[in-house]
Amino acid sequence: MKTVIRLLLVASLLLVGGCSGSGSAAGDSARPKVIKLWVAPNETQEEFWKIAVDRWNKSGLGLPVTFTTIPATGSSEKAILTALVSGNAPDISTNIFAGFAAQLADLGQLQELSAMAGYWKLIAARHMGRIIQGWDQGGKKYVFPIYVNPTMIWWRSDILAKLGLKTVPRTFDDVYALSRKYAALDHKYGMQVIAGKNWQDRWFDFISFYYATAAGAPYIKDGKAVYDNAAGRSVVIFLNKMFRQGWTAADFDSDDPLVTGLVAGAVRGPWDIAYFRKIYPDILKKIVIGPMIANHKTEGKTFTFADTKGLVIFKSSRVKKQAFAFISWVFSNDDLSLLWLRKTGLPPARGDLMTNPLFRAFYRSHPLDRQYADYVDVAVPPAFIESTIDVQKTMGIDMIEPIEFGIKTPEAALTDAVRRTNQLLEVRQ
Amino acid sequence: MTLKSGHLTEAHIGAALAILYLLFNLLFWVYPFLWLAILSFSDWRFFGTPSFSGLKNIYIILEDREFWGSLWNVIRFLGFYLPMVLAGSLAFAFGLQHIGRGKVFIALSFLLANVSSGVAYSLVFTKIFSSTGPLNMFLLDWFGVTIPWLSSPSMAMFSIALVVTWKFVGYYGLILYSGLMAIPTEIYDAAKLDNPPPLTRLFRLTLPMINSQLILVLIFAVTVAFGIFTEPYMMTGGGPLESTNMPLLVMYETAFSRLQPGRAALMAIIIAVASYLAIVVIRKTLEKDVGSA
Repeated sequence: MKTVIRLLLVASLLLVGGCSGSGSAAGDSARPKVIKLWVAPNETQEEFWKIAVDRWNKSGLGLPVTFTTIPATGSSEKAILTALVSGNAPDISTNIFAGFAAQLADLGQLQELSAMAGYWKLIAARHMGRIIQGWDQGGKKYVFPIYVNPTMIWWRSDILAKLGLKTVPRTFDDVYALSRKYAALDHKYGMQVIAGKNWQDRWFDFISFYYATAAGAPYIKDGKAVYDNAAGRSVVIFLNKMFRQGWTAADFDSDDPLVTGLVAGAVRGPWDIAYFRKIYPDILKKIVIGPMIANHKTEGKTFTFADTKGLVIFKSSRVKKQAFAFISWVFSNDDLSLLWLRKTGLPPARGDLMTNPLFRAFYRSHPLDRQYADYVDVAVPPAFIESTIDVQKTMGIDMIEPIEFGIKTPEAALTDAVRRTNQLLEVRQ
Repeated sequence: MTLKSGHLTEAHIGAALAILYLLFNLLFWVYPFLWLAILSFSDWRFFGTPSFSGLKNIYIILEDREFWGSLWNVIRFLGFYLPMVLAGSLAFAFGLQHIGRGKVFIALSFLLANVSSGVAYSLVFTKIFSSTGPLNMFLLDWFGVTIPWLSSPSMAMFSIALVVTWKFVGYYGLILYSGLMAIPTEIYDAAKLDNPPPLTRLFRLTLPMINSQLILVLIFAVTVAFGIFTEPYMMTGGGPLESTNMPLLVMYETAFSRLQPGRAALMAIIIAVASYLAIVVIRKTLEKDVGSA
């Protein structure tokens, strides 16, 4: 028996030794000699960071930076969470959306950026005063937004011409008129109004339409859902009419409906420009970009949703100051902002995209990208709340789907969704 | 237990071999299970030290309509899945019996579905079953109708069960085929004396003789139902109207999206107990000792 116990002990020690991290090596207490950066697992963004990091390291202005893409097998959030829990988090991570940032900040995992020296100077240099307002958590800023993707509507110009339309639809009534004509053709739909089945898809349907109609007013205010108002009602009535009339389908999962011409229009982000340029260049030539549709025509630009992500410094980092110095250098450098734009096509989170000569020159030769940049200042980010996923799941389950299947009136669906969301938010508080 | 004159006894070798297995179980089964039990009664959000929360997680889960709805969805899934997969596997097994050449090739072809990537085939089926997908376009062109395979609360679970059946029919079929091969031909020869009709022979002779294989397949099917994740996650996201929301989806979101691992741990225990009870009921009610019959 003693032999068995000895063998067990030896094996356990070997296992424990093997499982323990390498952090106990000599010099563990010494300050790290590099800044670890994780970037979005995206080819174009990786290209940008490769150049930016290389320039920083050559400049000798601070601690060298090493970067890798977020080792995400499923989602970036899970990879970052796992790294934080296991003590292997980097110093800086990009690809952070508002809801996840709110969760991490609530758990005390993020460094408050607005408390760091030079933060407000950086915000001023990039004219980000308005943009940063949407990233507020209790008066503090934990995330530095990198890009702002306004949602816009892509229309097939050839289809609009075939239907005798000279301008893109701007209102729900315009979409009804277009759909009536287009649906009369064989198995066609006016517009894709529901982006998909997952909680994220609400950003690209209900929330986009809501912001457009409500002139950017929030759907969650002071910890309560407030979208059961006139704007919310007009959006659900629009969705209901599109489904009841058969002017849209429950899903378009098979092929891109804009490519096949199954729909005349759909909500799209700027990332699709590069994608279409590569895969469907002929279709891209037929695309005209219009503003988000709303209940009524608005004076000036129509508000829309901002698909925006940023970077954070983790509280566990032992080189926070050095990490922020690196961030400040990258984002105060206009040339790097232009490089970002050239590489990714995503509008940098800056308030001077249409006034800075550097960007204006780029946009002159990129008219489609310019349309997006033009709407950055009226693109509103999602609510900065911890319960993003549940709030948007409720929108889907209690509002969008009952409307889709015609089992609730649009008004009842809206009321139910808001009531359930408030119950949920109340429990969380 | 001591070493005798420097030679290893059989007992020592046995113990040494068993230790690896024991260690594996300690590390990957006992330790996580204990941690799961501790978490179930703790308030913890991945950071800091878990604090004892008494029955709080139980109260919250008792009122969690999403979780209990997902358990009801397991029963709905089984309602579609069991008849389809049992009929399909039996048909496959009987068919394989009558194939002469190419038997191995056909068996492997069916097994391919079982080893395919869940994510890959879920994407393919999502496209096929789309309301504007090729299947519906074909139905519309030829018959003037479309079927809301994934977009109707009543059809979505059936469609997922269909895909999972496609995945497992070859695997289960081979298990049943092995049972059919083991039935002594003398029994059929004896039965011929009474000249029973084919259905009587099937229900009174063949199926009882492969009872143990059928029970095994049933148990596998039940564990699949409780553990299904990839197909609903990829094809429907648990919808529409939560009609395909399965327990593992709820558990995953609770742990990693809502950052409530304590509640997710308790859900895991409830799911494990429910699947264990289902298996016990199946064995108690349907399992027969064919050997002593």
